[in-house]
Amino acid sequence: MEFPDTLFPSYFGAGPLREVWGPAPASGWGERGQVLEAGPRRRQVRARGVGPGDRGVGRAGAAPTSRLLSLQSGTAFVPRRGRTGESWEPAEAAAVPVLPPNAGCWIPMLTPQDILCRGILYKKLQAGKFRAAPDFTKQLSHFFVDHPEDAFGSLGQLLHKNFFLGDSKLMVSVSRDTTIRMTALMEDIERLEARRGCTQEHLVPRLRWFSHVCRDWLFEVPLGVLGDYVHEELLLQCADLLFNDSPTGGALAWLPPEDVGARTGRLVYPGGQAMNHLYFQDMLLEELPHAWGSPAQFELNGRIRQVAAARVDGEDFVGVRSDYHCGVWRVPGRIGAAPTPLQVIRTSVPASCLTVSPHLPGELAVCTQSGAIYLWSVETGLQRLRHDPQTMFFRDHLPWRWSDFTAHPRVLSCADRTGLQCLDARAPERCQFDLFKVGEEADCQQGERVILPMYLGRAHPSHHLVTTQFSVYVMDERLPLVPMLKWVHMMKAPPLFAHLMPGKSGRSHKVLLGASSTQELLLLQYQGGSRSACQLLGPPQKLHSITGCLQHLPTQLPHRHHLLQQRLGAPAAGLAATLQEDRLQESLLVFQLSEAGDVFCQRLTHKMAQPPAPTSEPCASPQPSLAVPSPGTALQYRRWMKALFKVCREPPRHYWLPILSQKRLFIHKELQSPVGPSTLQGQVRQQLRQAMREKGRIQRWDTPDALTPVLTQHSELAEGVDTLSTRLTAAWSGDWIQWWEERTSFNMARRRQALRERRRQQKRARSRCSLSASFTSSVTYQSELSELSDAAPQPLSPGHPSLLPQEGSPLHGSPPASPAPDEALLSSQSLRSRGIPKERRKTLRDYLAVWAEAPPEPPELPGSQASQASQLCIPSSQSQLSSASQPRRKRPRMGF
Amino acid sequence: SSHEHRLNFQKSKEVCLNYIQDAMLQKQWKRAAEFLTVYIEALEKDFSREYMGPSEIIWRIGSEILWHHSHNGMKEFNSFIEQMKTLAIKRYLKVCLEHVFHLLCNGLIDEAYQTLSLAESWRHGEHTSVRDKEMKLIEAYRGLLDYYRWAKQKHILLEHGQDGFDDLSVEQEMHSCFRKAAVNLKEIIKIPGVWDPFVKCYVDLLEFYGDHDEARQVLNEYAYNSKFPANPNAHVYLYQFLKRQGESKKSLILALKILHDSVPSHELMIDFNTMLQKSKKRKKHRLGLEVIFAALDYAGWKENVKAWSCLAKQLKQIVISEKHLDWIKQEWNSRRDWWPAFHFSRYLAKRNWQENESLSYEKALVAGILLGKDCKYFKYVSHQGCKAQVKRFRLLKKFVNKHNPVYLRISG
Repeated sequence: MEFPDTLFPSYFGAGPLREVWGPAPASGWGERGQVLEAGPRRRQVRARGVGPGDRGVGRAGAAPTSRLLSLQSGTAFVPRRGRTGESWEPAEAAAVPVLPPNAGCWIPMLTPQDILCRGILYKKLQAGKFRAAPDFTKQLSHFFVDHPEDAFGSLGQLLHKNFFLGDSKLMVSVSRDTTIRMTALMEDIERLEARRGCTQEHLVPRLRWFSHVCRDWLFEVPLGVLGDYVHEELLLQCADLLFNDSPTGGALAWLPPEDVGARTGRLVYPGGQAMNHLYFQDMLLEELPHAWGSPAQFELNGRIRQVAAARVDGEDFVGVRSDYHCGVWRVPGRIGAAPTPLQVIRTSVPASCLTVSPHLPGELAVCTQSGAIYLWSVETGLQRLRHDPQTMFFRDHLPWRWSDFTAHPRVLSCADRTGLQCLDARAPERCQFDLFKVGEEADCQQGERVILPMYLGRAHPSHHLVTTQFSVYVMDERLPLVPMLKWVHMMKAPPLFAHLMPGKSGRSHKVLLGASSTQELLLLQYQGGSRSACQLLGPPQKLHSITGCLQHLPTQLPHRHHLLQQRLGAPAAGLAATLQEDRLQESLLVFQLSEAGDVFCQRLTHKMAQPPAPTSEPCASPQPSLAVPSPGTALQYRRWMKALFKVCREPPRHYWLPILSQKRLFIHKELQSPVGPSTLQGQVRQQLRQAMREKGRIQRWDTPDALTPVLTQHSELAEGVDTLSTRLTAAWSGDWIQWWEERTSFNMARRRQALRERRRQQKRARSRCSLSASFTSSVTYQSELSELSDAAPQPLSPGHPSLLPQEGSPLHGSPPASPAPDEALLSSQSLRSRGIPKERRKTLRDYLAVWAEAPPEPPELPGSQASQASQLCIPSSQSQLSSASQPRRKRPRMGF
Repeated sequence: SSHEHRLNFQKSKEVCLNYIQDAMLQKQWKRAAEFLTVYIEALEKDFSREYMGPSEIIWRIGSEILWHHSHNGMKEFNSFIEQMKTLAIKRYLKVCLEHVFHLLCNGLIDEAYQTLSLAESWRHGEHTSVRDKEMKLIEAYRGLLDYYRWAKQKHILLEHGQDGFDDLSVEQEMHSCFRKAAVNLKEIIKIPGVWDPFVKCYVDLLEFYGDHDEARQVLNEYAYNSKFPANPNAHVYLYQFLKRQGESKKSLILALKILHDSVPSHELMIDFNTMLQKSKKRKKHRLGLEVIFAALDYAGWKENVKAWSCLAKQLKQIVISEKHLDWIKQEWNSRRDWWPAFHFSRYLAKRNWQENESLSYEKALVAGILLGKDCKYFKYVSHQGCKAQVKRFRLLKKFVNKHNPVYLRISG
């Protein structure tokens, strides 16, 4: 293992943190750090001779010339930061979902409004000093309201006779002495509720009296103890709101294929409503990665916090951490091979870390919040290396601990918020050294704490990454305490996830940093560590976040938009990436997992170094905010959204609005209107506009004579096609029965002709891209809604029957005719999906068959086809009719 | 009200800065530059008492943008930095230092030297520890550049000295460069830190003028002063110096022993092992075995053929002589439970055989001695070797079979 023979100069001091240094906004920019002489001189030094074993011996002859060159051309220097790195351009405008949305509607995260007194958090944060001010009374009252049986159960029964809830006065003298009339009390409470927020608020004496009398004995649960617990839990939740470290490390892992060139791999991620299902999904890497086959699935009994993986001897070992359980799986490298669960351990205190050894099969490191660190071997069991509730370098009451492996398989690094130490598992008490200290040694700022350490063994065997909320460091075990690299990352939230992609043969190593709450993703590049000193390359690069794709999704109704916003804005929960090499194009696939359990992916493509053209190159990158997703991506978004809305169906409403869809009564064909506006429509519309401009009336009855023949002619023309209009006209004028009679005894010739006409139309429609219908699904239901609202109040004039249905259609820009709507409509599935009860279906079908004159209903349509058809042309009635209702936010219950 | 106005101003400043950051992180330098021109207004009402004021922010962001997106390179950058030097007066030295770095990286050594000399004469502002550190660094870098000038003069002299060329002025200039460099370099390396380039140059100067004692003292201080970080390079420089001085084996071994204690995975451990092997003392041989075992503990050495052949050679010697088998036993004891999985798995046997035959040979020998002839690694490799009819593998098999009782004694 080589060590760089010259390191960048730096001061080294020991001691506490620097004084008052707030988070500086732009401190990561504009610094070269230090410089070092590059290239030739290094060779010259080596040539001067280190010893017979040195590799430089061969170059001894070349040294003088190279030195001469270096002196002639002037000494060349390299900076610690700012050399150009590789150029990776995002291939898409936003991240794209790779897997269908996680099943089960996600319960939105706790927000500050839920548990804090309003505005307090914000104000305190502004003041720079945070003291949690949880809304304690609100939470406690939630308990009494939500669990009245637990709170007052038996006492309530006992006192049952002594509380009177009626309106009348208590008359009987016997009961008068022992009974309280509660009605007045309730009224007082309601009045109090109504006056909430009023400054003149004062307690009603009766209420005060009641609470004074009852406070000590009314509650089943001892109030003091309950209050303590609620308060404690609230404080915990408040702390979590500010920073939740449980997902540290991330719950997403990518297992690369056994042979490097294969375009497959396996994604390991949690899912399910409680995120307690572990999935191993084979993936195919094409233009966009997509699932291959169905995933192997394991149900665990706890929310999965972290998934860690490492490959040893061609096999992947996957460690899974939930709060009180840790498990390990073995996954053979070849695709399709089933993962085998190996072992599970249970901890009495929540575990905070689980890492898998890259050196020895079946070895893991586990830390718990009580300050214990274990080396866990599947064969030999647990070995406790340390148990210390105190932090290592200075006092800090944070229970978070972390441990990872080092270049020596028996030496583990262990971390708390104050720094990192390495200890030998064979003699953990004696053999240890400090690797990183939050303090003067690494030039840390005040308040800086370790967030995530990571072993960078795949890039260099003795390198470690340490992230804090301000900076990112690369440490070398061989020179502890002195950062090889340091850079202020300027991320808005502390980076909880990191992923390394080692660069082979002189290429740069890429490190991805991910934050949870803000979903930030940052790509850094560095090189060096063995022969030359570490250098940070290029400017850091921000990658797409999951929320970013919201602006590229088709416009949604407000409640759906809100749902999407919430779903996509869920904090990130994991990060994984892989390099994919095609013949010419190299690309980087970055996977991101959200707390809602959705996995998104983005591709970055490697641009080969071009001759510097500073004028065009930097501007050439498109502004992502302007770019549009490619058709393939757009389709992916649509599919994902459709699946999401299916998964997150609105909860059943409390009341049912009697909305009648005209679609249930008329077949699609009937509702369809001719394509494109006619000249007459144009005229009429112009008239309408003019009338609106002049704020006058539409004097339809006085239309000039010239118009009338056209209209009548039109209606005649349309009659053959538009049975709806004629029917409505007939109904309007009262001779519907006659019309019906006529209709049923339709002459055969016309019937046949109509049938032929229809067939031709269908053919034409089918030849048009039937897929386009799926693109316009959102438009369709919008138009349906507007149809609904339009339909009822429009007056029907008997003189111009065909006007109504045609009027609306061009406005909506309705989709091209859908293929074979009749069959789909009449199929039992579609009827069911429209909520028509089984017993009525037959009647309806018979009824409609008369109009449709279509071939008789196929007895059993293949399920998929039918459902697809119904999806394409008719969105289910539930979704189209839903008003702007949204899932009711679950009240936080503080662990009750 | 003015307070509200100030708050709004503060807020819009922050928003603007966010835009700039966002554009920069997406490499939209032009866009960032446009926003920055707006941000410059922030200077107008700079009431901030924060550590980093808008002037420093503008300096940092501006230089970053100009690195990546500049039409006429250095000229534009220089004029920007000159303005920044007066603007970010609080951080004048820092700005100068970064400017120098930029000049050096672009090969403008003379300009950098001038900038350094100018910065050195800066005497304004309050004295803070940060400022002192920056000043020391500026002096040190000037010393470094003086050293390079010195080296250039020396080179001219040496080159032309052979042709009978003797120029007094060149020589004088060289000596003056030496003096300037030596003073500044000497200063910085007294302060605890990592000063590899400075130490190397200073020692080179001292050696040239024959001040070996001073050089030794400097290197000793750099390596062994406990206030300095445990820099492996410090030990390496000392070792190289001792070697150049033709010091005794004993002092060389001592230097390397200390390096071994702090960094057992250092690449010099192979040299150390060879040196110890050549020694006649039994104790040294024992240390050699320890050193090579310890080096092979590390993941970075896993596929180092040289190290494996060193170990194989030494083990073979011990086994043949049948003396000191207890050394092997002792070393093996602490590795028995994890070396087999770490080094001698069947998977590795397959891979090593495919990728590097000689590595698999050396490892198979070690595995055969330590784990016996039934070890998976040995069995696989010797089988493959015999199948491929390579002679040394047949000999290897023979050797291990013959000395199998040794394994029993080690493991027993």
